[in-house]
Amino acid sequence: MIRAILVDDEPLARDVLREYLAAAEDFEIVAECANGFEAVRAVTEHDPDVLFLDIQMPKLDGFEVLELLDRSPIVVFVTAYDDYALRAFEVHALDYLLKPFSEERFRAVLQRIKSQKDGLKPAPRQLASTLRQKPLQRIVVRSDDGTIQVIPAARVDYIEAADDAVVIATGGTKIRKQESIGELAGELDPDRFVRIHRSYLLNIDRIEKIELYAKDSRVAILRDGTRLPVSRSGYARLKELL
Amino acid sequence: MTVDRVRIGLYAVVAWTAVAVLCSVALITRPEVPTGKAILAALPPSLLLGVIAFGARFACRALPLRRTPFSRVLATHVGAAVAAAGLWLLVWKASPSIMTPNITLVFAVGVVIYDSAVTVHYLTLELEASRIAEEAALRYQVLAREAELKAFKAQVDPHFLFNSLNAVASLCGSRPADARQMAQLMADFFRLTLRLSSKERISLADEIDLVARYLAIEKVRFGARLDSHIEVDAAAGQCLVPPLLLQPLIENAVRHGIASVVDGGTIDIAATADDGMLRIRIENPADPDRPQPRGESIGLQNARGRLSAISNGRASLRTSEAAGKYRVEIEVPA
Repeated sequence: MIRAILVDDEPLARDVLREYLAAAEDFEIVAECANGFEAVRAVTEHDPDVLFLDIQMPKLDGFEVLELLDRSPIVVFVTAYDDYALRAFEVHALDYLLKPFSEERFRAVLQRIKSQKDGLKPAPRQLASTLRQKPLQRIVVRSDDGTIQVIPAARVDYIEAADDAVVIATGGTKIRKQESIGELAGELDPDRFVRIHRSYLLNIDRIEKIELYAKDSRVAILRDGTRLPVSRSGYARLKELL
Repeated sequence: MTVDRVRIGLYAVVAWTAVAVLCSVALITRPEVPTGKAILAALPPSLLLGVIAFGARFACRALPLRRTPFSRVLATHVGAAVAAAGLWLLVWKASPSIMTPNITLVFAVGVVIYDSAVTVHYLTLELEASRIAEEAALRYQVLAREAELKAFKAQVDPHFLFNSLNAVASLCGSRPADARQMAQLMADFFRLTLRLSSKERISLADEIDLVARYLAIEKVRFGARLDSHIEVDAAAGQCLVPPLLLQPLIENAVRHGIASVVDGGTIDIAATADDGMLRIRIENPADPDRPQPRGESIGLQNARGRLSAISNGRASLRTSEAAGKYRVEIEVPA
């Protein structure tokens, strides 16, 4: 049996998936979800083989759901937006269904799932970073206890490297996320986030002033009083932007 | 621009001074007074009057004829004329003059020169105003065209069509009667869209009717997550608006508002008309953490452009967001 989870915020969209799946043999639905939070929880709990995933959803969109998964089901995007189709196509383990779709098209997708079930699958996080919209508008984090946090990019003060992870400072609280600072720097809006130092990525809206600290070394003072080191190349990047 | 203004101001002062000098010379010329001396004597008071006559322009600008009670215009300028002529007379008397002109006559000439300056100022100001108004009208016409064109292109989001068709496809399997009804709702909505968008202006009541049909379709998709409440008073319903002014805004309220909230909520639409002003308010729940588009949405930009085009810039569209509610407020002269 191939175990599937359906994720779509519209009940009617789930209905049609359920109906088509019921007609197919060897498929069973283990969970249905109406938003991204539920989807992350359900995948963690049920470890399905395949995920039928809507992209535009409240709270977490389809790409953000993928980013938060440790395990990697086969992902089939189900969406009315064909903007993602091309990018989705570049990634082999994926397929996509454009709403509305025919039962024939759906059966072809199921066939593909069966033939790929035991094949290689890319890590979901890798998929997500290929697919998610750039520049990144918000950062999603799942902590060890399973709670999910959504941090809009505009609310991030700065990001600090911590070994192979980062610590995101936002309004006085610090949130750890398993991702490299270089990767994040490449995806956040380059007009807003500047790598002022090897270990610091700064939201330029938060800068109060830049002070000369010693010869060739500067310090950025943020509105809340935080002081961050600015390297020479970091200062050059800042100057270019301001 | 400012350099030009200064130059024009200088010319005006010179011109009025010349007029004053001519009048003065005419007044004091007698056989025994050489013309050169007369001109020299007339110059200081004339220069003063020239500056005052030019300065009257600022008073004229501050008291535009069409928007100031006539009594005030009259009182101000009579007062100013007396003051100007008095000053001019004082300088005349102070100057070491070889000739003693008739005081009453000098005063009268001062008044006449000041008043003629006021007349010229009002005439030129009026000309300038009408030229600016003409330019503005032309610019708004161009803006209106552009906005109409853009609005036509972006009338209805195609994803709305795809998602609705998906709902129809879904209903066909389980509830064929509802599928039929949904197809009917969609056909009615698109037909009405075509009919209304070909018109120059429609009543707000017609626009609201269109919006209500749109919401009925979205209600099938979103179910309990979408509610709507519409309250339009009778006077507001009769006001004329460009077709499909509100529809894209309501579409935003669904796409970026209701769709961003897990439990959905109510879209509130209210319109009132009084004191010649039509006020429309659209309010919807929205997740403050939703992905924010960069800059303003096309729907909002279009609405803004079309509103300013129909009202010569006198309409306003404001958006605000607080406590999980997003609000659009429109004010347009009815």
